Amino acid sequence: MTPVISAAHVSKWYGQVIGLNDVSVTVQPGITGLLGPNGAGKSTFMKLVTGQLQPDKGSLRIFGEPVWRNPGIYHRIGFCPEQDAFYERMTGREWVTALARLGGMDERRARDAAAEAIARVDLEEVADRRIGGYSKGMRQRIKLAQAIVHDPELLILDEPLSGMDPLGRRRAIRMIREWGRQGRSILVSSHILHEIESMTANVLLISSGRILAEGDVHRIRDLIDEHPHTVYIRAADPRGLGREFLAHPGVISLRFEPNALVVETAAPDAFYERLTELAASGACGPIEELTSPDDNLQAVFKYLVRS
Amino acid sequence: MSLVHDQSYRRYTGARRPIGRAWIVILRTTLGALFARRPLIGLLLLSWVPFLVRTVQIYVVESYPQAVEVLAVSPRTFRDFIDFQGLFAFFVTIYAGSGLIAGDRRVNALQIYLSKPLLRTEYIAGKLGALMVCLALVTLVPAVMLLIMQVLMAGNLALHRAAPGLLPAVLLASMLRIVVPAMVMVALSSLSTSSRYVAVMYAGLLFVSEALYGVVARATGSTRVAWLSLPRNLDVVTDAIFRLPSQHDAPVVLSALVLIAFVVASIVVLERRVRGVEVVA
Amino acid sequence: MEQATPRPGAGPAGTGVLAASMRVFDLSLGRMLWSRRTIFTALVAGLPVVVALVLRTLLAFEVPVMQGGVTGPVVFGLMFWGFVVRFAIPVLAVFYGTALIADEVEDRTITYLFTRPIPRASVVLGKYLAYLVCATSVLLPAVVLTWLLLAPIDGALAASFPDLVVDLVIVVVGFVAYGALFAAVGTIFDRPLLFGLLFVFGWENLALALPGQLRRASVAHYLQGLVPHAMPADTPLDVLQRAMTGAPGVLECALGLGLVTVAGLLIAARVVSNREYVLEH
Repeated sequence: MTPVISAAHVSKWYGQVIGLNDVSVTVQPGITGLLGPNGAGKSTFMKLVTGQLQPDKGSLRIFGEPVWRNPGIYHRIGFCPEQDAFYERMTGREWVTALARLGGMDERRARDAAAEAIARVDLEEVADRRIGGYSKGMRQRIKLAQAIVHDPELLILDEPLSGMDPLGRRRAIRMIREWGRQGRSILVSSHILHEIESMTANVLLISSGRILAEGDVHRIRDLIDEHPHTVYIRAADPRGLGREFLAHPGVISLRFEPNALVVETAAPDAFYERLTELAASGACGPIEELTSPDDNLQAVFKYLVRS
Repeated sequence: MSLVHDQSYRRYTGARRPIGRAWIVILRTTLGALFARRPLIGLLLLSWVPFLVRTVQIYVVESYPQAVEVLAVSPRTFRDFIDFQGLFAFFVTIYAGSGLIAGDRRVNALQIYLSKPLLRTEYIAGKLGALMVCLALVTLVPAVMLLIMQVLMAGNLALHRAAPGLLPAVLLASMLRIVVPAMVMVALSSLSTSSRYVAVMYAGLLFVSEALYGVVARATGSTRVAWLSLPRNLDVVTDAIFRLPSQHDAPVVLSALVLIAFVVASIVVLERRVRGVEVVA
Repeated sequence: MEQATPRPGAGPAGTGVLAASMRVFDLSLGRMLWSRRTIFTALVAGLPVVVALVLRTLLAFEVPVMQGGVTGPVVFGLMFWGFVVRFAIPVLAVFYGTALIADEVEDRTITYLFTRPIPRASVVLGKYLAYLVCATSVLLPAVVLTWLLLAPIDGALAASFPDLVVDLVIVVVGFVAYGALFAAVGTIFDRPLLFGLLFVFGWENLALALPGQLRRASVAHYLQGLVPHAMPADTPLDVLQRAMTGAPGVLECALGLGLVTVAGLLIAARVVSNREYVLEH
């Protein structure tokens, strides 16, 4: 299968400052989150992927084609940039229609496509108002509308949720997941971990211009064997469970909380296997809740950046 | 004394500048930003070439008395020097001045500035001062330096004795060519968020008025209409300051009034436009 | 992964430079026409009309404003050369031409145009065409109005009508050539306006005043060759210059202006196609 995006040893400098440093990565179809702190190189990567910048070293291909100076590729790409910049005097409908026309559609088709895209981002009511009068959330959504107006295969969304209120964020996340389900590939960047987590488990972690990790967040987590894995178990007999795990290989520490046991282990697979056995035998009573506080993006990211 | 130091937030307890002195901060930071631009430094250096040429002229006159016939140094020499520096002043005004307030408006920095203990007048004074310093470096400073060079090379004050008003005239004419363009530019800079638009507005104001004067003067066959042109008004008033016969027939009072009108209009514009929050009706 | 089928009505048909340029033109024209820039353009273009109105009013009250046998068509000629050709056209071309791409970069909206399936060159060309329509649609009526007001003064409309037609062609040709030149300047330089103003009010004035072939490196020289009116001769040097060099022929003018236009557009298109635009945040 041709990867959606493939970067081979891509580097980008801004004068003396390095934006991306020898990045080799492939992005497969589906939703992929690009995650990193501010200044990590997310926007540089996005700009390279959308052909706004040319790599100083290495090669970058979208659907197997080069992207720099290849305008034809934009039939297949929809881009929602980070910046809050618009033709403020145009109405949302005029703007999206005009950009659809630039995509090669005839006038009638562009109008229909714009109406469809605007409806998909729930902006029909304000579509004929000037963008200058839109709220921040509306501006973000009209940006999304222009990105999807030509029904692209790959959507590249640079911080699409920034500035939205919680309700708007939830709606946008639902929208992005829905687009993903419809078969679009989506590369979405954010520096807010739970946002990405709520859209996809497939992530690219970037920091200081380097890709730190790529793939399923849980698998990435599993691969970090030397990093202790914390498991919170609420059970009827936490002390009994503690006794069972005291001598278990890989367990680093045990801590009791009211009606719960918090285990820190360096061998999560073996630990979960033993826990399943105990739960099945009922030796320590029923287990009511099992969570892994650090089996999430936050923990993975913190760990990777620190190391 | 406790071994454990207090880690909590501590308020600033040092000295504070009294209200009314914050313009110095604006002036200093603006000048810092301006002088970090190499093209401006280049422009400022280039503007000293006429000074060197005039210095050579003075040297030749003082060293070879027979050259007086051709290169005589008189009040008109200084008046022409100030006039010629107007070319550099124009480009410095555009380069250094167009973004002074427009840049702040563009990034909504005005509301941050004005949320500090900083008066609007202080903000304007700081910005205006920065442009005036730049303009002084191409007009006032070289003109005064030229006067000093003349005294040093002549070794006497004969020229000043013959024309006692020369030093005040140089100072006054230079200040005129600093204050009026600086006021107009800073006011224009407050009208837009784009420094390019501001630059075009300033150039337009100067050249439109000049072109208008050119056409009307030719049609009427008279230079009495010099008051139509901003640069010509500066010329007329400068001639009057140096007590030299003017190249234009326009009344000095009228030209002075036009220049004052420009300054007043600039103040009105600044009063209306430099606000933390812009209320759109 | 399967290649997606483009939407019906979309597709490569729209990606040719000319077709794409027309779409960019559609998008840009409205924005340019209904912008504050048009107000500035109208102000510049309206000045000769105002002057003509004032002259007509004064003449109606029998104020002797036109001295020395100056007639209406002569004043119109003066205005056309002194104001329209030497001022309005280059200034408006600098204003629009340098901003074709710079405005989009400054407003950070260039991303939307550069991530569409159109060649970047078409963005320059489409916006250039929009500028041409916008600038000419404001200046041409102003020239016609000025002519209507001035030509009947001691003259006949019918007699000077052929000259008017040539004048209107010069306006269009002037915008075409200057616009292309400043479009290139706007894509090459970070401070295009300064270079544009230096070219128009520095280089062109100098080149026209100097003897020799330097004048061929100015746009004004070729436009001057097309102007049907007598040139204003304000200094003996001008007369001497004209006698020595002679006006260029129509063919030479057409070739010169054509070269400037083609070279300017090609350079602009090439620079924009190859340049990376890092937008400020």
